Amino acid sequence: MNTCCSADHAANAAAAAHPADAFHDMVQRCYDYATEQKALGRKLVGIMCEYTPREIIMAANAMPVCLCGGSVDMIPAAEQTLPSNLCPLIKSTFGYGVKKANPFLEMADLLVAETTCDGKKKMYELLRETYPMHVLELPQKPDNATALEHWITELRQLKQELETRFDVTITDDDLRNGIQLMNRERALRRELAGVMKQDAPPMTGRQLLEMKSLISGLPHDFSLYEEAIDVFKRQPPEQENTSGVRVLLTGVPLPHGAERVMDIIEDSGGLVVCQENCTGLKPLLEDVDPNTADPLRAIAETYFHLPCSVMTPNTRRMELLKQLNGEYRPQCVIELIWQACLTYDVESAKVKAMVEQELGIPYLRIETDYSPSDSARIAVRVQALFETVAARG
Amino acid sequence: MICAGIDAGSRAIKVVLIDDRALTVAGSGIVAQGVHQKELAAELLNQTLKEAGATHHDIRNSVATGYGRNTVALADTTITEITCHARGVHHQQPEARTVIDIGGQDSKLLHLSENGHVRDFAMNDRCAAGTGRFLEVVSEQLEVALIDIGALAAKADAPASISSMCVVFAETEIIGLLAAGESPENIVAGVQASIATRTAAMSGGRVNGPIVFTGGVAMIPGMAEALEVALGDRITIADKPQLTGALGAALLAAEQQ
Repeated sequence: MNTCCSADHAANAAAAAHPADAFHDMVQRCYDYATEQKALGRKLVGIMCEYTPREIIMAANAMPVCLCGGSVDMIPAAEQTLPSNLCPLIKSTFGYGVKKANPFLEMADLLVAETTCDGKKKMYELLRETYPMHVLELPQKPDNATALEHWITELRQLKQELETRFDVTITDDDLRNGIQLMNRERALRRELAGVMKQDAPPMTGRQLLEMKSLISGLPHDFSLYEEAIDVFKRQPPEQENTSGVRVLLTGVPLPHGAERVMDIIEDSGGLVVCQENCTGLKPLLEDVDPNTADPLRAIAETYFHLPCSVMTPNTRRMELLKQLNGEYRPQCVIELIWQACLTYDVESAKVKAMVEQELGIPYLRIETDYSPSDSARIAVRVQALFETVAARG
Repeated sequence: MICAGIDAGSRAIKVVLIDDRALTVAGSGIVAQGVHQKELAAELLNQTLKEAGATHHDIRNSVATGYGRNTVALADTTITEITCHARGVHHQQPEARTVIDIGGQDSKLLHLSENGHVRDFAMNDRCAAGTGRFLEVVSEQLEVALIDIGALAAKADAPASISSMCVVFAETEIIGLLAAGESPENIVAGVQASIATRTAAMSGGRVNGPIVFTGGVAMIPGMAEALEVALGDRITIADKPQLTGALGAALLAAEQQ
């Protein structure tokens, strides 16, 4: 799959390493950075959802770090307490706490949790027995003005919590600085993802998935994103990477360590050109306006637009899928659903109908967890999907 | 020249040989699946070729399918059983629009377009409760041969309700039913109805006829009838349903240049 590392290319591999390779030591880099900055007095704040605005955390001069668990090894420990029929992302995140195995969780000065799905909401009640936590209540009617006002109130309370807990004052200019930093990160990652629009993209979906960081706003990452964009502009695409059935992957996120389904797709002859999920484009598409009188309100409005399946009705997701279909020209849509993720699971009926009837391309739904026991069965379905695409010509 | 289709399923390996111009069947064979899958497939192919009066030199192209398709090293290419079953059914019954394939550990429901291509499909997830394995478990528990299950089920007066989502739990459920004095006839009929209901649920509520039933489970009496009840539509059992996948593989091999 990762053809830039194949034997054929060994000769020039050293000279022209793929930009994604610079992210192989991402976790270690984040750890070193967090350790160094904490020694200087900066705070580390753990988040577990893209609805949590990193801008406000940055405005408190703290570092937002993603704590979403992607490791199957954490699940047995989690199941001592949590039900087995629960989303693996929730179980893995919690299991890291049980095993004290996530250094970022142990180093965090505060966790900012959120009431997105029921599984997370109730898991957080158990997690907060051990770790300091602030919970954001996320309203779920995205087009309701009262719901938005409530969300704004929730974010103002987060700001106060950070001010009190970390003994800082967050000014509107601090918020604007946070907005500018996050807008920059979103713009860079958007541009990187955008190279997959090409007929012959210069990387695999897996490589693009690697090119992000647990901690947002790291200056070194910004240089890596810029260099990668520069390389892709200058270098002709490697043809080996670019053959394959163009896939739009939608549904649940693939946290670090849980890339198995992406690998199955790309090992079976697919190329994931677009990810409509929280580890892909979904949280990158809308910037926050830094020039308004009330930056906190601007942050709240932007984040409230995120088309997660917890929202009802979640019409923005259908619109987004149609837009991405036009830009990335997939030949099929694969929806990934983590076991017991009720909101994405139920919503998949709407996505399937829209993809087949309005986009006119095949749709495949894969429900699984982090265990590799069904990899062969998933591969059969993915390969059959690609055979169907090929038969359509 | 001959084209070969090899279907390495979870319970049996099947081979079909066809004349690559006339597309007529030149030979076929079936052997129970085992530990040495690769050798079993090779022996079966040799035996089938011999019976057809042919040798390996007569094979122009071969396609392997089934869960063991990547292990069967003697085939030129591999194609999934989903595409192969669709091709096999389309050859026998071009008017078919839905294929139900129930094998040893898989069940699948395929919607076909008018040209016989797969429009979309559904397949059971991790669990084997809707598959042939479920029937095997029941036949072992009740000490009834698989082939006699249908005759037994026909005598049921009130099929038992089997609700377990998992074969292992269903086994426990059946022990409970037996202990409660439920008749083997009603239990068998209940299991067949449970498999049929599970399969019908994969259709997403829209099944276009004609419906063709393939896979080893199609040979077990009573299953097609149970599916007809669950789907509310007529079902045709494919000719030699256990060989449909291998036939499709052979036909696809013949289409490849």
